[in-house]
Amino acid sequence: MLVAATAEPAVDGAAIYSRHCLECHGASGEGVAGKADDMLAGDRSLESLARYIDRNMPEDNPDAIGAEESQRVAAYIYDAFYSPAARARLNPPELAVVRLTNRQFRESVADLLGSFESPLPPGPPTGLNAVYHESDGMNKKARQIAAREDRRLEFDFGEGAPVLGCSPQQYSIAWQGSLLAPRTGWHEFRLTTPNGARFYLNGDFRPGDGNRRDDSAAQRMPALIDAWVASGNTDRVETVRVFLLGGRAYPIRLDYFKYMDRRGAVKLEWRQPDAAWEVLAAPYLSPAPARHVTVVSTDFPADDASEGYERGTAVNKAWHEATTRAALEAANLILARLPRLSGADDDAPDRLENLRLFLATLAERAFRRPLSEDDRRFFVERCFADGLAPDLAVKRSVLLILKSPRFLYPDLGRADDAWAVAGRLALDAWDSLPDAALRDAAASGQLQTPDQVRTQARRLMDDPRAKAKLGEFFRVWLALDKGRDLRKDGEAYPGFDETLVADMRRSLELFVDQVVWNEKADYRDLLQADYLLLNDRLAAFYGVPAPGAGSDEFVPVRLNADQRAGVITHPFVLASHSYFKETSPIHRGVYLTRQILGRALKPPPQAILFEDEHFDPTLTTREKVAAITSKETCMACHVTINPLGFSLEHFDAVGRFRTIDNHKPVDPASSFDTAEGETIPLRGPRDVAAHAATAASARRGFIRQLFHSFVKQPAAAYGPDTLDQLDASFLASGHHIRQLAAEITALVAVRAGQSAKQASR
Amino acid sequence: MHTTTRRQFLQRLGLSAAVLPFLPSLPSLAQGSAPTRPQRLIFMFTPNGTIPPEFWPDQAGADFQFKRILAPLEPFKNRTLTLKGVSNKIRGDGDGHMRGISCLLTAHELFPGNIQGGSDKPAGWAKNISIDQEIKNFLQSNPATATRFGSLELGVGVPNRADPWTRKVYGGPNQPLAPLSDPYAVFEKLYGQMKDREHLGSVLDEVRDDLRLVGAHLGAEERALLDQHAQFVREMESDLKSADTTRLLFPPPALEPGVALDNDGIPKISTMQTDLLVNAFANGFARVASLQFTNSVGQARMRWLGVDEGHHGLSHEPDDNLKAQEDLVKINTWFCEQLADLARKLDAIPEPGGEGTLLDNTTIVWCNELGKGNSHTLDNIPFCLVGGGLGFKTGQALQFDNVPHNRLWLSIAHAFGHPLPTFGHPDHSASGPLALA
Repeated sequence: MLVAATAEPAVDGAAIYSRHCLECHGASGEGVAGKADDMLAGDRSLESLARYIDRNMPEDNPDAIGAEESQRVAAYIYDAFYSPAARARLNPPELAVVRLTNRQFRESVADLLGSFESPLPPGPPTGLNAVYHESDGMNKKARQIAAREDRRLEFDFGEGAPVLGCSPQQYSIAWQGSLLAPRTGWHEFRLTTPNGARFYLNGDFRPGDGNRRDDSAAQRMPALIDAWVASGNTDRVETVRVFLLGGRAYPIRLDYFKYMDRRGAVKLEWRQPDAAWEVLAAPYLSPAPARHVTVVSTDFPADDASEGYERGTAVNKAWHEATTRAALEAANLILARLPRLSGADDDAPDRLENLRLFLATLAERAFRRPLSEDDRRFFVERCFADGLAPDLAVKRSVLLILKSPRFLYPDLGRADDAWAVAGRLALDAWDSLPDAALRDAAASGQLQTPDQVRTQARRLMDDPRAKAKLGEFFRVWLALDKGRDLRKDGEAYPGFDETLVADMRRSLELFVDQVVWNEKADYRDLLQADYLLLNDRLAAFYGVPAPGAGSDEFVPVRLNADQRAGVITHPFVLASHSYFKETSPIHRGVYLTRQILGRALKPPPQAILFEDEHFDPTLTTREKVAAITSKETCMACHVTINPLGFSLEHFDAVGRFRTIDNHKPVDPASSFDTAEGETIPLRGPRDVAAHAATAASARRGFIRQLFHSFVKQPAAAYGPDTLDQLDASFLASGHHIRQLAAEITALVAVRAGQSAKQASR
Repeated sequence: MHTTTRRQFLQRLGLSAAVLPFLPSLPSLAQGSAPTRPQRLIFMFTPNGTIPPEFWPDQAGADFQFKRILAPLEPFKNRTLTLKGVSNKIRGDGDGHMRGISCLLTAHELFPGNIQGGSDKPAGWAKNISIDQEIKNFLQSNPATATRFGSLELGVGVPNRADPWTRKVYGGPNQPLAPLSDPYAVFEKLYGQMKDREHLGSVLDEVRDDLRLVGAHLGAEERALLDQHAQFVREMESDLKSADTTRLLFPPPALEPGVALDNDGIPKISTMQTDLLVNAFANGFARVASLQFTNSVGQARMRWLGVDEGHHGLSHEPDDNLKAQEDLVKINTWFCEQLADLARKLDAIPEPGGEGTLLDNTTIVWCNELGKGNSHTLDNIPFCLVGGGLGFKTGQALQFDNVPHNRLWLSIAHAFGHPLPTFGHPDHSASGPLALA
């Protein structure tokens, strides 16, 4: 020590590093087992790094290097290996070889089969067409009494007529249109009636179906729920479970009749994945017709999400078996609708020819490029060669196509031609296959220039499939799944039940939709909006006058507006990052650090359980958190986490505004070290939002997260300037989220092929 | 027409279809050597009553002659039992046809409801489990008699409509069970797993070719992943090979492809369903079954017999319309031929691991919704039993004095060693089972 203390201070950062740091951290910051296990890497600013070193390093003698030397060694470490840029330079991320993710498989099959039918535009989300008839006898439609649009499928006609001028004894109603399902997963439907009803979903409707006799649709289409026969003068309840893909419209029809029963009533409810039962109503219903969607419901093993986004890197036995089952399921679904899909009638003389043509088209759409003559022989002709019955030949061919690596691995070889570009555009924007316009563009040389690619990318972003994919991003970004089974202390928060949680989630989803799908699509509005969307139930719970539009309608309400800041203070986010009874500044702070500010956090060096009963009972939550995280090793990260978490302390565990915590006034203020190296005051959520909306680090964090969600590859793998480019165009667009998504999609579509070329040189 | 030739089972699977898992091997298909002989039961249903003078033998007892309708049963005469004087006495809501079919196997009333025929009070579903399901549940509750499916509900020409005129089997009160009227769907239900394996087995080789072809043009990293993928394909191939697909005692019947599931397809559908039923019994998939021809008020047009008019329409014609009577005799004789065909096929298969034939251990109960079409009577239902499954004394024509059919179902339950004190409507079980043994 004597020697060190009397030695000349080293001038050079590298020399300081080798004298004071290398022994524990290794030559390139890689760490030394038993001394400093973690690699020296992070996203602190240079200033913050220097300050940290000055205060804490070397661990056994922090006074050994002063402020000046700390500056120098920090600068050396930062550029040599610590900063994200240095890491990218030293260890450039590579594109992983990927298969379709589970979502991509399902979406691709749906669009593959959908491509053989003419598309229908989605209709307004206003309700279903309803036609009311008086009946002759039991259920023969005799006289149309009314035709109108119904918003909500819950009716209690009692002993009276459903509409004026109709017999109360014998009448029928048919509701028809489309179901707009926002989420992917298992949905449940529940039909309740003491009368007769049939529920059809995702069938093939034809003109004239089900209009003269109430049950004529049943002749051609299987009902999902058949409750046609009233029996025993009681409500009958039937439930069914169906897998649906989010962001698509499904044909729906409900046929209903009453004949001589004591009273008339019918109700159709549904439960979306991770939601509560609710009456099926607008905005999930539209009077517009929709086409059948081919939905593969096979269970897949979960995709790898260890990088924070789902990606198709795991090729293992379970996945192979799942894709095989899914291919069989799809083949059976195709056979069931073969004449419609192939245009080949069963007894048409040219049936075989048409089936071959259908299969060749199916293959080239599944493979995202034209079929060579050899491919055609392999995937189509050979299946018919053994004299197989046509249906079996089709099944065999479909199995071969859907089990082919050409389908399952969407970008093998990273070709640089227009077909590859089209394939990547559709995959990244929709998780699916190119549509007709993209295929045409590829075939006619309209996907050559960056502008042409960008034009297509923007077009794709206007499609419901892009909306569904953005929805997937926000599901992760807002940690919506964390709110699954959200429960709170019933005594402290009476009225906080499953229905309220479903309302909260919907309020958040609607808010994001409104921001993202208005013209500006401004990222900053997500963070800085000062209103909440509330329905009557939420308004009652949060103690504001009901906006008066009922429980289905969500209306902007300014509630503690000077304290609210977009998603940051949305009750769902606040409640899902809280404990059963108390807030959790740590969970909230970690959420803000990672998602909103886009910064990396290492896992805590030691796991500490937050046990409320071990604290002095007079402390506030903030005081408890400050106490439990006060150690230096904790503060390496909690210096960032805690100020962010404390800034939200004005909101309790269900997101209500408060000024008192445990009989003491709430203190939300701290100072905060930004990733840019500044120290700023945080007085509450609006300061956090203002910082997130303006700081380059937070903005780039958002871009990076959106990139990963869309492309499922590391951004830097497309070139070290990828984020810079995207950031520049994001700024230029006025922080336009959908344009950003289009830019990401376009950039990757072009660069993936180029990087492959460079790699092969 | 095209929609009907398409395999409707696939449509029915609809969007919530879960493909049958193909990897777990099929459950044990052959029955182990049971300590006692297996007993099997089939209910065959035909609609619209019969023509009594051409159905019932003139004699009672063992010395009797078949009339025209039952003549196809001649080869099985000593294993046949006719039961005259057994009546469906269930009344209450619903018209005679509804009660004729929905109260036949349930032997109980219908709930009030919204389905009306003629001017009778509208009605809903039956209030009771049907006797076949009662027996099935009894057999399934004992591991020695349990089978993969327990029971099979098959139909021939049953319309795609669920109401009290189309359902005769009930899993319980208000629980009608739909018969499968599509032989291809039945095949899928019985052997689908096996067939899917065959289809897969036939393409996996080519899938590996494809992986190799594609891999040849790729860099090392991508090729390595595809090699790994190919390894899983190989594993699946060997899994499929080692999976015991040859444990079936009897190979699945070869169905004629592309049979139209419409009126004119009925003769072929009947043959296919019969083959599937016999094969399923032979393979030990079930011990109880029902085979329902059309429905109550069924309107089959048996053009293959030269009868162009619908069955129900004809059945309303008065006794003095001799042409209609003749057509109805033809129709009912054709139904009896289907019964005889079923019996013949069961008799052609030796009881696996036992003695005699399948027919020796199976009783087929031919039943009808009505006694006579033009009077709509539920008295004197033309019950005719064929086969030795229940140990009844066959080879005779029995005459009862207008007894409720609840007692016949009691006889069947008791013959299975399931001594129910009553079945169905409480008023109609007095005096217990009919003496048939």
